[in-house]
Amino acid sequence: MSVIAPNFKFSEFVKSILDNVFWILLIFVLIGLPAVFIILFYIEMPVINGELLTPFLALTWLADPSRTLPILKAFMTTDLFKIAAFPGFGFAALIAAGTIFIERKMLAKLQLRVGPFYCGKFEGILQLMGDGLKLISKEIIIPAKADKPIFWAAPILFVATAAAFVALIPVAPGWVVADVDVGLIAVFAIIGFFPIITILSAWSSNSKFPFIGGIRALHQMVSFEIPLILSLLGVVILTGTLNLSEIVASQSNFPWIVFLPIGAIIFFITILAELERIPFDLPEAESEIVAGWLTEFSGMIYGLVQLGTYLKLYAFAALFVVLFLGGWSGPMIWPPFPEEIITDGIVMGPITAKIPGLPVFSQEMLNSVLWFIIKTVGVIFFILLPRGVFPRIRIDMLLSLGWYKLIGLAFVNIFIALGLLYAGVLGPGGIL
Amino acid sequence: MADAIFLALSVITIGSAIAALEMRSLIYGSIALMGTLGGIAGFFLLLDSPFVAMFQLAVYVGSIAVLILFTVMLVKRELIFKKVEDKRRKFVGIALMLVFMVALGSIIMNSGIKTITTDEPAVDFRNIGADFLTYYWPALILMALILTGSVTGALILARREDVENDQRTD
Repeated sequence: MSVIAPNFKFSEFVKSILDNVFWILLIFVLIGLPAVFIILFYIEMPVINGELLTPFLALTWLADPSRTLPILKAFMTTDLFKIAAFPGFGFAALIAAGTIFIERKMLAKLQLRVGPFYCGKFEGILQLMGDGLKLISKEIIIPAKADKPIFWAAPILFVATAAAFVALIPVAPGWVVADVDVGLIAVFAIIGFFPIITILSAWSSNSKFPFIGGIRALHQMVSFEIPLILSLLGVVILTGTLNLSEIVASQSNFPWIVFLPIGAIIFFITILAELERIPFDLPEAESEIVAGWLTEFSGMIYGLVQLGTYLKLYAFAALFVVLFLGGWSGPMIWPPFPEEIITDGIVMGPITAKIPGLPVFSQEMLNSVLWFIIKTVGVIFFILLPRGVFPRIRIDMLLSLGWYKLIGLAFVNIFIALGLLYAGVLGPGGIL
Repeated sequence: MADAIFLALSVITIGSAIAALEMRSLIYGSIALMGTLGGIAGFFLLLDSPFVAMFQLAVYVGSIAVLILFTVMLVKRELIFKKVEDKRRKFVGIALMLVFMVALGSIIMNSGIKTITTDEPAVDFRNIGADFLTYYWPALILMALILTGSVTGALILARREDVENDQRTD
């Protein structure tokens, strides 16, 4: 007999689950399905197999496998899919979740600990899910004298801003949510929102430690934004464009890190500072000011801020890859899709299954995504690595590093880029 | 569609400008100021100049509003904020604003803005840069000198040599 629930009866447990299933089915049939069809009448439907997909045919893919893949492919070209799933939020959140687990495991190995171990039998792979469930089910406690509207809005705004940043990152040719002409300036504009949200949430909790952490975060982010922007100007000067996709396309022969290593190093250091990672984690210095500006957050509010932080980490690593490491360009290592499946179908003994609509992704796109992910994961690894090695630095050292050394080096980088441009080596009309 | 967005942006911009002036809380006032500046960035987007819009966001919302917020948080509220209101000042202020609006409006309406063709392609930001470096170069040099002077002045003002810290080892 369980101690936690002494009146537990298995039959009632099953009955409650069946009750829930019954009501969910009933409500879905009576309200959900009509609502879906009403929406389907208003949105633009694609043409599948030479026939317009009307709402009356919308569910035929359940019974007719020859329509499934074309409908799936048509869905993947929509903005909704791009924003929610592949180059946008879902993909980034998946990488962010992986990053959290890898970080915990890797730090443990670096410091001769075990790390997450028991959850999920094998090396604690279910630890992340357990943490997520815990955060969702925890109570959200708001300090008594907190400024409630800002306190509630800040975590959501934080995730939204990080997602807007993710939306600008091109993952493969044509696979980007917002392919804007002024992509890099848009990145600068979005980065500028993070300190505002941080200081507002820190102020709104009306508590000492968050406020100190927020002031530190503001100092740090604002002073490192300037070398960040300056260090990227070299790339802009050499490519002559602000569009991130065009910047990647300009690196098909060699990545810019070959010619602008100083800019890449400055950008990497400013990434560490903008992400509040060790050695620049003064805003969350857990040994001095509890948890910095995150102190008063609990439950899913804390979870949202963590999600936003790791989305931001992915976006910055991806930006480094896009600007300095050549983005998706790399040799073709993805195997081509077998031709006989397209022409003959899959033969399993006496049965031959012909699947129209294959291949779902082109070989080039899969190869690009593979290279992009390999490079991004590599950069994320180098962002995580200092956490196991370095101590935290003092705030005056941080500020003098940002204002004196990095800005000076950023100008050196700009002059290197200008020298390469005017010597006729690189840039429009250059010899390389 | 563009008209609806324009109306919404106008309401947001003017509404948050009024809120920025009238709010009791200074923090909410500066948030409303951010709304105003962001609304102006929206106007630039409607005018097909995303470059200016992004700079508006990066400079005004990202830097100037942060500075205002920072100052407001560090200043004691009672020192700069009195609850006693002067009615006459308010009315004079509104009258002054109306006079300015009428004057500016008449100037803008007579400046030939009605004869501009609106179906021209948007100006490329590369052309702005080229113009800055060719025809308007004296203005660029002047701006650079002023900015350098102000940054140098700020550094000199912020420098404090009289403070000695014994705990420092470096």
